[in-house]
Amino acid sequence: MDAQYKVIDPVKFYRDHLAHKIRPDGRGLLKFRPAVINVDSIGTADGSAIVKIGNTTVVCGVKLELGVPKPEESNIGWLVPNVTLPPLCSPRFHPGPPSDEAQVASNMLAEILSNASVLDLRALCVVPERLAWAVYLDAVCLNHDGSILDACVVAAVAALRTVRLPRVEHDADKDITKVFPDERSSLPITGAPIPTTHAIFEDEVILVDPTSDEESLASGLVTITVQNDQMCSVYKPGGSPLADENMQACLSRARTRAIQMNNLIEAALAARDKEETKDQKLIS
Amino acid sequence: MEDSAIFNVQEQWLRPLRCELNVLSRPDGSAMITQGSYFILCCYVNTFLYSYRVHIFFFKGNTAVVAAVYGPVDVKPQRILVDKASIETVYKPKSGLPNVADRMRETIIKNTCETALLSAIHPRTAVCIVLQEMQDSGGLLSCCINAACMALMDSGIAMKFLVAAVSCMISEDDIILDPSDKDLMGSKASLTFVFDSAKKNLVASHTSGVFSQEQYHESLLKCRQASCEIFEFYRSLVKKYIICI
Repeated sequence: MDAQYKVIDPVKFYRDHLAHKIRPDGRGLLKFRPAVINVDSIGTADGSAIVKIGNTTVVCGVKLELGVPKPEESNIGWLVPNVTLPPLCSPRFHPGPPSDEAQVASNMLAEILSNASVLDLRALCVVPERLAWAVYLDAVCLNHDGSILDACVVAAVAALRTVRLPRVEHDADKDITKVFPDERSSLPITGAPIPTTHAIFEDEVILVDPTSDEESLASGLVTITVQNDQMCSVYKPGGSPLADENMQACLSRARTRAIQMNNLIEAALAARDKEETKDQKLIS
Repeated sequence: MEDSAIFNVQEQWLRPLRCELNVLSRPDGSAMITQGSYFILCCYVNTFLYSYRVHIFFFKGNTAVVAAVYGPVDVKPQRILVDKASIETVYKPKSGLPNVADRMRETIIKNTCETALLSAIHPRTAVCIVLQEMQDSGGLLSCCINAACMALMDSGIAMKFLVAAVSCMISEDDIILDPSDKDLMGSKASLTFVFDSAKKNLVASHTSGVFSQEQYHESLLKCRQASCEIFEFYRSLVKKYIICI
């Protein structure tokens, strides 16, 4: 009965649930879905992470390439984030050029990473004017069930934390570049911006971490990104007007959430390090 | 010093706003908004009978946008919505093709206008909003939203409320309203807010840079105060155009 009811009148279905302060998936209005992070999941990538928030799944891989820096910015490298939303992840997307939603997500990811200055681009420069690293950050959504930006940014940060940059020697006179794949060092990643998405339902009820159904019924979305207790993006692209006290509550909630998510990333990285030492012991 | 700096630093207020409605003849509604500093040159022209005083405005560092609205018009079958009008926004940059950042600007403008419009009374139609950037000297997003709102008003389509966008920046310790691109060079963060005319609540927000929760709140309050000035400007504009008609 429940399923038919949801198909016939989804708005009323949600309204009835929310009147009892519960969501159809059993969560309270301000409860997050369980999150899972796995790092270094892809052996062939230079760095990678998989993030699951409820059913939303994002895989992020990092590819490193050497290039010649632009003359006007000769001492920095590149960080190129990209979000792909393939038809695989939701019936809303079709094959072909990236949808508007994917372009906006890519741009948001790039803005958040640069606002939070997660990676100092000067550290990517090997020899000024000659050689610099380009870090390609590709986030692919496998299952789109709402709050896609939250998963993308967390996956991007976790993947960047796992990147091991090989040592490079460059002989400027002979123009010879030598890469040492066995001598690697971590990227200098500072901080981790954590976004939290809120949905506004019928102009008044605020839901955190909305699913894709909730997002499509919502009258507005607010994504707040927090790093080290500082805001690095407050993104509300239109939607129902929000009163100040609600906005402040959302900001405070995002700060709490950022601490939890940060701990989760640290735990995932610690688990990976533990695995690695275990493997090394087995080999020796 | 630029007079924009005088406006911003001493008065803590907005750059002078100028708007012309119905600038284009074919669309259902159109508006051109310029926002920027200017200085006035006053001179006297003597003719045989009269002496005229002529004000010549020199615009320096303007942000200018032209917006046009078509609607409600036919909609493409794949974009048809059975319960409301579908809003399409096209943003044209000054030169070249629109990039990913422009796509995001489009999304913000589209969602903001969708909130302001009573789209439910025109189901199975489209409202098309076209924006052409003329010049960007800071605060382009807010100028675009204000121009779109004025064009919608000019087209006479039913709206729930008007919207006003205000941008501000956070420098070392203070908040500067409506910064020009020169001011923005020394900024820690820049924020754009959109308010509705009914309750002055926050409709849209876009930020760049890093700031604290208190700074965000403070900027929000300051921008809300400034938004009243824009709504007042809208009112005076309507009064002026009613006389013309």
